[in-house]
Amino acid sequence: MSILLRRPTGREPRPSTRHDDNAESLLTTFLRRIMRWEIGLCLLIVIVTIGSSTASSNFLSPFNLETMALNATVLGFLALGVAPVIMTGDIDLSVASILALSGVVMAVLWQHGTNIWLAALIAIVLGAALGLVNGLVVVMFELPSLAVTLGSMSTYTGIAFLVLQGNAIINFPAPLVQLGSGGLFGSDFPIATLVLLLFASILAFILHLTGFGKAVFAIGGNRQAARFSGVPVARTRILVYVIAGVFSALAAIFYLGNFDTAQANMAADQLLPAITAVILGGVSAYGGSGTIPGVVLALILLQVLETGLGVAGLSGQEQTISVGVLLIIAISGGAAINAARNRSRRREQRADIARADAEEVTQATSSIGSEQQAHEQGQ
Amino acid sequence: MSKRPVMPSSLERGVSGMAQFIRVREVGLIAILVIVSVMAAITLPAFRNGVNVRELLNNAAVVAVVAIGESLVLMSRQIDLSVGAILGLAAFITGSLISQVNVLGGVGVVLVAILLPLVIGVVLGFVNGLLISFARMPAIIATLATLSIYSGLQVLVSGGSQVYAYQVPAWLNQLYTSTWLGVGSFVWIGAAWVLLFSFIMRMLRWGRDLYAMGSNPEAARYMAIPTRRRTIEAFMVCGALAGFGGLLYISQYGNVDATAGAGFELTVIAAAVVGGVSLFGGSGSPLGAALGSVLLLEIENVLALLKISIFAQQTLQGVAIILAVALYAVLMRRLQQPASRARNQPDIDTQRRVKTEVQQ
Repeated sequence: MSILLRRPTGREPRPSTRHDDNAESLLTTFLRRIMRWEIGLCLLIVIVTIGSSTASSNFLSPFNLETMALNATVLGFLALGVAPVIMTGDIDLSVASILALSGVVMAVLWQHGTNIWLAALIAIVLGAALGLVNGLVVVMFELPSLAVTLGSMSTYTGIAFLVLQGNAIINFPAPLVQLGSGGLFGSDFPIATLVLLLFASILAFILHLTGFGKAVFAIGGNRQAARFSGVPVARTRILVYVIAGVFSALAAIFYLGNFDTAQANMAADQLLPAITAVILGGVSAYGGSGTIPGVVLALILLQVLETGLGVAGLSGQEQTISVGVLLIIAISGGAAINAARNRSRRREQRADIARADAEEVTQATSSIGSEQQAHEQGQ
Repeated sequence: MSKRPVMPSSLERGVSGMAQFIRVREVGLIAILVIVSVMAAITLPAFRNGVNVRELLNNAAVVAVVAIGESLVLMSRQIDLSVGAILGLAAFITGSLISQVNVLGGVGVVLVAILLPLVIGVVLGFVNGLLISFARMPAIIATLATLSIYSGLQVLVSGGSQVYAYQVPAWLNQLYTSTWLGVGSFVWIGAAWVLLFSFIMRMLRWGRDLYAMGSNPEAARYMAIPTRRRTIEAFMVCGALAGFGGLLYISQYGNVDATAGAGFELTVIAAAVVGGVSLFGGSGSPLGAALGSVLLLEIENVLALLKISIFAQQTLQGVAIILAVALYAVLMRRLQQPASRARNQPDIDTQRRVKTEVQQ
């Protein structure tokens, strides 16, 4: 996964420190490098894991790890899908509804005799189409994405209900269930997690190493400036919604495989957790920055935390509260660290300027001195 | 207080009250409301039924009260996703307290019942405002987090129990059905809040500050508007109104459980959007938000009476939201176009002149 380790395009280039010989500035550079969002998430994951595994010896058992990995799959696809939209500075509230509608259509097609894989393919195409509709409405009419996707959220869920009439479809064919909940080659490592990581890598490659990704972050940073510098703003913004639609449809396939049931209101409660995971992953809610590895780490953290709190005997509601509190602490803490970092950077720059000024002054005085000497000598 | 420029209010411009009070948007909304109502009344006998009209208006009043608060926040270019949770938490705490505590006697209980949900709302809104103004969190994230915290608290506080209608004092139960001058008391309450906030938003500096912050936050700061304070205050008012909505909720349903108010925030935002409150901030009005609530619930009511499946209703409501937003956007652009064309005119003339000069 070497691509995940490269510097993502979404980050501003770090200013090079000019005086590396200074021990103190070496320390600050080191701190700056280590105080990245992803490192913080890793530390939190380690802390929670250690805490939970001391509380319960079963926490790190293969069975528990497999359950946690499977639980995170559907949420993972939703979060990865909505992440690029948030990176462009928009939002997509309809991802869970796209999941429901494409999942319901897939299930109904299968029930009427379509091959399950063909049905899955149709579901993905449908997801892309639903995302395209969102994108076209938002971009063509220049409407706020929040209102549009709020509308399409109830529209899509309503259609899903109309298709299924409040019924449920169960007992999907074994291959799909194997894909959704089975282990790789009979081991405990879930296939679904592998597929999720594969798609996360592809998305990370697209967003952090291609021109399209640069366009996404440029638009999120400053849409006007992006347009003036020739970035295809409309096309990129629409495509981002299509990506969200495709990932939601993928989430639907794994939902059917994992839970073996299709209902019109499935995964409706996954919308807010998906957005939470994206924000916790370090993606700015205003757009313009964030990384896919960060989102993946946030998913792991949320899953570990949820299970850990369950082990500690907290109820589902207490877990929800803790996630909310964690979100607040993480975001405001991150903002505080950023502010402190900017302040120290500014102080450094000021010091640089002062030093340069001082050098200039000494040069000037010495030159004045030599001029004076020359003058005196001339006399 | 030091002198600072204020967004011109109608008082200072000396424009006559009524014309300014009800503007193009609200007139259009009222027209649509009247058309839909008349058509529904002619074609659907069940719509004309007095009980149906009362139910519709009462439901709309609850949504409208919360939508007014939400519209203040939206106008200042923020958003509050936690109103549903605030409503639920306020409703549950108030409901269970007034069912248990009866020490203060009649008037005392009434006072507690009215003040407690307001205070709960103000406190929860204050937390939202603090997170947004001082922790510098984006409003959508902060209120997303407090949404899960407040609704989690609601379940914890309830501990699986419920407030039942027989535990609620009689006067509060009767409030829902009582009328004054032939109009339901909920409608009077809703109208009172609309009047109060229409006055505040149009006539008082506080309201103009919110509009200014919504139109251009940077400019508002340069105008020496205390933007952080105003943001916190807007969220506190929004919370207070959501808490008051909780009181109406108790009166409306009698039963309050751990999930009361869940999903209410989306209805409220939809109502505000249909009522012409811009999600980009700076435009909209409390009256518009209230009219939007009535229109949204009226459409729902008509669809239900037409025996259209509840699922199709959801679809149509979603489409209605998108259409409303699109319509307002198109109207706004139409209104702004002549101005921008006039501004561009000299540029084109200069260009032509330059061209002809070059040709010569």
